[in-house]
Amino acid sequence: MSAFAFAWRSLRRQPARALLGVLGVASVGALLFDMLLLSNGLVLSMEQVLAGTGFDLRVGRGPGMPGSGWIIPDATNRAGALTALPEVEEAVPIRFGDGAVASGAGGDLAVRVVATTPSRHPAWMLHAGRSIASNGAAEIVINPNLARGEGWEPGDEVSFRAYCTSGNSVTPPVSLRVVGIAEFPFEDEGGLTVGTSLRDLDVACGGNGEDIADQFLVVSAAAAGTAAARSAIEEAQPGFTVAANEEIVGQLQGGLSYFRQISLVLITVTIGFAFLLVTVLLTVSVNQRTGEIAALRALGFSRRRVVADVLSESVLLVGTGCLLALPLGLGLARVLDRILKSIPGIPEPIHFFVYQPRAVAIHFALFALTAVVAAAWPMLMVARLPIAATLRREVVS
Amino acid sequence: MTVVEARGVSRVFPMPAGPVVAVRDVSLRVDAGDYVALCGPSGCGKSTLLHLLGCVDGPTSGTLFFEEHDVATLGDRERSGIRLRRIGFVFQRFFLLPMLSAAENVALPLAEAGVPKPERDARTSELLRYVGLSARADHRPSQLSGGEMQRVAIARALANRPRLLLADEPTGELDQATGEQIAELLGRVNADGTALVIVTHDPAFARRAGRVLTMRDGTIAAEERHR
Repeated sequence: MSAFAFAWRSLRRQPARALLGVLGVASVGALLFDMLLLSNGLVLSMEQVLAGTGFDLRVGRGPGMPGSGWIIPDATNRAGALTALPEVEEAVPIRFGDGAVASGAGGDLAVRVVATTPSRHPAWMLHAGRSIASNGAAEIVINPNLARGEGWEPGDEVSFRAYCTSGNSVTPPVSLRVVGIAEFPFEDEGGLTVGTSLRDLDVACGGNGEDIADQFLVVSAAAAGTAAARSAIEEAQPGFTVAANEEIVGQLQGGLSYFRQISLVLITVTIGFAFLLVTVLLTVSVNQRTGEIAALRALGFSRRRVVADVLSESVLLVGTGCLLALPLGLGLARVLDRILKSIPGIPEPIHFFVYQPRAVAIHFALFALTAVVAAAWPMLMVARLPIAATLRREVVS
Repeated sequence: MTVVEARGVSRVFPMPAGPVVAVRDVSLRVDAGDYVALCGPSGCGKSTLLHLLGCVDGPTSGTLFFEEHDVATLGDRERSGIRLRRIGFVFQRFFLLPMLSAAENVALPLAEAGVPKPERDARTSELLRYVGLSARADHRPSQLSGGEMQRVAIARALANRPRLLLADEPTGELDQATGEQIAELLGRVNADGTALVIVTHDPAFARRAGRVLTMRDGTIAAEERHR
């Protein structure tokens, strides 16, 4: 009978103990797995969202990351100049703002506004209809929340008012036609967002002829690549800051280092719990069976064999618990993610717990180590068990 | 041919109150086919001597030879090998593994010795037949009586055809009638050629042996030969 088969029988001998052990390891394992998902989840999520927009560079004016600096004047011309660079496929100016749309039920609904120029690469992901056209028509795309809530669909007319200066200045509403339903990156969960052209936003703001943007979103030319496009933009627009997606993610990563530190501490604590749990279970199990183990040794079982039995028992306990921990951890991560995402201001596509194959690999590696380390003391007990003294003690007791 | 020989062996246990001499300068030879009974009051060193003969413990002084090999020169692996293939152990408390059936318990030393499954199964059936428990092969120890458990333990001890069978109070946990059946079975094992050393408090059981060694204070105080 192999050491594994023997260990399996030993575990089945006390099913309640084995079940409690496995469930204990599974619970601790689920927490560990969640910590691993959490430690890098936000950064990974941001990376996915940035990549999903289709733009690989962001350009802003002044110091700091693009979007956090100054307003960019003459946005349309500058975007055109960037697009003209051979290293750039397209540069799209983006302006963010706030506004309101007249609800069908009466009253205004506050909306987030994303204004851009009609382009081949829209700043939103279309679900239905089309994007704003370059024919000068007053058009708007709305997000699914707004479409669902108001029952609007492409072709409907919407009364829109923009908040163009600080405070709710009174600007006359403009009528815009809904042409598409689209998802906007970085919009809040449940939030209402609309997209329109820079021109229509300017009209809604009183038609001052302002051609301004907060940043440019850039798609580099496939033949040139991100780095070459970046160099070309920096040369063409001195005083502008250019950031690739990786840099934005890197900066976020730096800002969230405390997240990883907390995760690391919690990972260590959970592994510690798993270690203690398995060590206690195995130690108790070995202590209950010293007579049998001494008898097996007397019958000729080698020290290596009885040690292998204990290690196999540990591997079975930890292995089963570790496997169970994965679905348990994924379920728990979903619940925790929902709770964390309910924090106001968290963009809808951003997740705190993101599945990564790397996390599964680390999870297994840590538990494999735990199985061995947790079994170390019981294995030592078994290896050092004095056969004759144990048999004598068993008879006397 | 000599199976095991102790030459002036002593076994001293260090205790907080001072060293305890369990076996003192004992010399003993067990030849093939011998049947030796170790008797004497509790604490006189019978079990300790049995453990020394069975290579589960080492003497503090003196030399122990198993089939002419000085046991002290052997490592744990070699001693385990001798116990597995050349020595059988029967314990007072049986020490059958409760999660295994009678047949699986018997097959355990065979598997450890690397005997292929078909041979293992055949030998297990043969042994269970030998001890009269063929019908109980699939029963767990908890489903067997004390006498049946001890018979399974004897079958297990005989699995690898040992030269020497050591039994420490094999009837100690059994009623008189069952004890006699076990004594008879062990007599048969000896008659079939296995050297047998038993530790017993039962004078009637001891009288079945060819030699009865009475121990006192760690020494062999008397030797009686019955055949």
